[in-house]
Amino acid sequence: MALLEIKNLHASVAGKEILKGITLNLEPGEVHAIMGPNGTGKSTLSNVIAGRDGYEVTKGQVLLDGEDVLAMAADERARAGIFLAFQYPVEIPGVTTSAFLKTALNAKRRAEGKKEIDAMDFLKLVKAKTAVLGMPYDMIKRALNVGFSGGEKKRAEVLQMTMLEPRVAILDETDSGLDIDALKVVSDGVNSLRSPDRAFLVITHYQRLLDYIVPDHVHVLANGRVMATGGKELALELEAEGYAKYLETAA
Amino acid sequence: MKPSLITDHPFGEAYAKRLGVSPWGGNLPGPKVEEWRFTPLRSLAKIAFAPATAKVDAIPNNVPLIAGAARLVLVNGTYRKDLSTVDLGKGVEVYQGKVSAKQGSSLVALNAAYAPQSLALHVTGVAKKVIHIISISAAGSEPAVAHPRINVTAENGSSVTLLESHVGLPGQTYFSNPVASIAVGEGATVRRYVSVDEDSEAFHLATSLVNVAAGGIFEGFHLGLGGALVRQEIRVALTGENAKVHLNGAYALGGASHHDFTTVMDHQVPNCASSQVFKGVVDGESHGVYQGRIHVARDAQKTDARQVHKALFLSRGPQIDCKPELEIYADDVQCAHGAATGEIDANHLFYLAARGIDPETARSLLVEGFLADAVNEINTETVRDLFGSAISAWLKKREVRA
Repeated sequence: MALLEIKNLHASVAGKEILKGITLNLEPGEVHAIMGPNGTGKSTLSNVIAGRDGYEVTKGQVLLDGEDVLAMAADERARAGIFLAFQYPVEIPGVTTSAFLKTALNAKRRAEGKKEIDAMDFLKLVKAKTAVLGMPYDMIKRALNVGFSGGEKKRAEVLQMTMLEPRVAILDETDSGLDIDALKVVSDGVNSLRSPDRAFLVITHYQRLLDYIVPDHVHVLANGRVMATGGKELALELEAEGYAKYLETAA
Repeated sequence: MKPSLITDHPFGEAYAKRLGVSPWGGNLPGPKVEEWRFTPLRSLAKIAFAPATAKVDAIPNNVPLIAGAARLVLVNGTYRKDLSTVDLGKGVEVYQGKVSAKQGSSLVALNAAYAPQSLALHVTGVAKKVIHIISISAAGSEPAVAHPRINVTAENGSSVTLLESHVGLPGQTYFSNPVASIAVGEGATVRRYVSVDEDSEAFHLATSLVNVAAGGIFEGFHLGLGGALVRQEIRVALTGENAKVHLNGAYALGGASHHDFTTVMDHQVPNCASSQVFKGVVDGESHGVYQGRIHVARDAQKTDARQVHKALFLSRGPQIDCKPELEIYADDVQCAHGAATGEIDANHLFYLAARGIDPETARSLLVEGFLADAVNEINTETVRDLFGSAISAWLKKREVRA
């Protein structure tokens, strides 16, 4: 049984069908990349899996370890081990990164039947994780994402990921708005989390990110369907030739 | 015989007439007075309040205290030396002063008529200790009224930090009508943090009259957490050049609470700056009001005056009224105001949900964060923490109710 199974997933937004039957299996330890032109359902796929309101699943299933993900509320999905790294992390004035991280971590610990982390242990943990990511520790005292640069926001997403240790991490266009240095830092963070019992779904428009986070499988998404699947060389081919042939096929 | 506020006060209808206010409710401002349009006093006028006489022999345990502060206790407006700290530290003296009516509204006049004596603080130097004034209302078996009066005079170059807690004994109907007059001398700094956390049956109509002289700094923060009907009216006059005022506040209302912030920022001279950040959250059937008037006199060139009010609805039942008023007679000024009301952002909720935080905790975190934006304007750390905790406690109570 795959870690995450997406079976013939159909989803609509405001009555318009965006996903038209997606099937993907993520085995533990694997990194899957989803590439495709804008407006083909890449973000819809990540939002549907994470449980954002406003998307209607009309057919199909998403299973995490065989459990029906779509029956869970968004917060339950996260506690079950699904992590969505946002394309545009939300700025939340007044809520410190530290308070947010602690609340999220404790929510997960409670769900696992563990005690809440005490303040000292929490600070130690954050200190260690920020050091690994080359982030200034003081960042956690700032309001969540408020006034963060594009690179800082994405690093903060990776910090959250390393703290919460998800089973399946979905990276939604994590490379957007990043310069090459920030891209490298973020990719290093992601790579440090690769492990035999964790899977990644890396959604991107450009091949560049996949130089750093090297995928096991690459899928081309166009018009709400997976049009092609291959190894990492497929990404290079797309970079050279573009998406035109998949769009034509779809049309 | 029990004297009632409505019929037995010394001003009566003649006084109301002279002030041009409605005679109903005696000297209480009527609904036709523009400044009181959003805060009708009908419910208050129906109750016959007797002067408060109930005994209080200790500071109630619902008053949050901060370590190292000097405490001054008022019970129904009367200074209680036996419950207060004798040593206030250097730079500040306390005495009981006379109450004079001077300027002001009918409520100020009412206070002047009934206040036993004022609690007067004379700030002569740099006061290190936080002066914590605890004003306790205690009604006993009958509804009661009290008129606390606080006068603060900060001499030129002096500085002081004041914390005021206004509380009442639970389950009682009382009306507290406090008046504070604060004179900030030239180059002096006064920080004043006021918390109004009255009982759900309580009325609290507070007037603060602040005067800031040249180069003086006044930092005010007002927290409103409860009471049947609460108004915190703060009138600030900037009367000397280069005076600076930061006046901020936060409120969190549930049940049928009504809370009104009315501010008047009166820029009388050039080169002064004032800023205001007020934020509130409303739940249940509560009603929040913010009225902020900025007046810039013809001569008050180079004035920099800013004002923001933002409110968050936690449910569909409450009401918010917001009225910014800018009256600007000078031509070389910077004035800005902003107002926004809304619900919790669905994108924020989803972001927190995507990190495993349940909806109720997420809402609390977001509400605390929303208000923290205003609370963080407090420059005194101990008070900032105290008010932050008071808001957290309010949210916890709300969760229990829900």
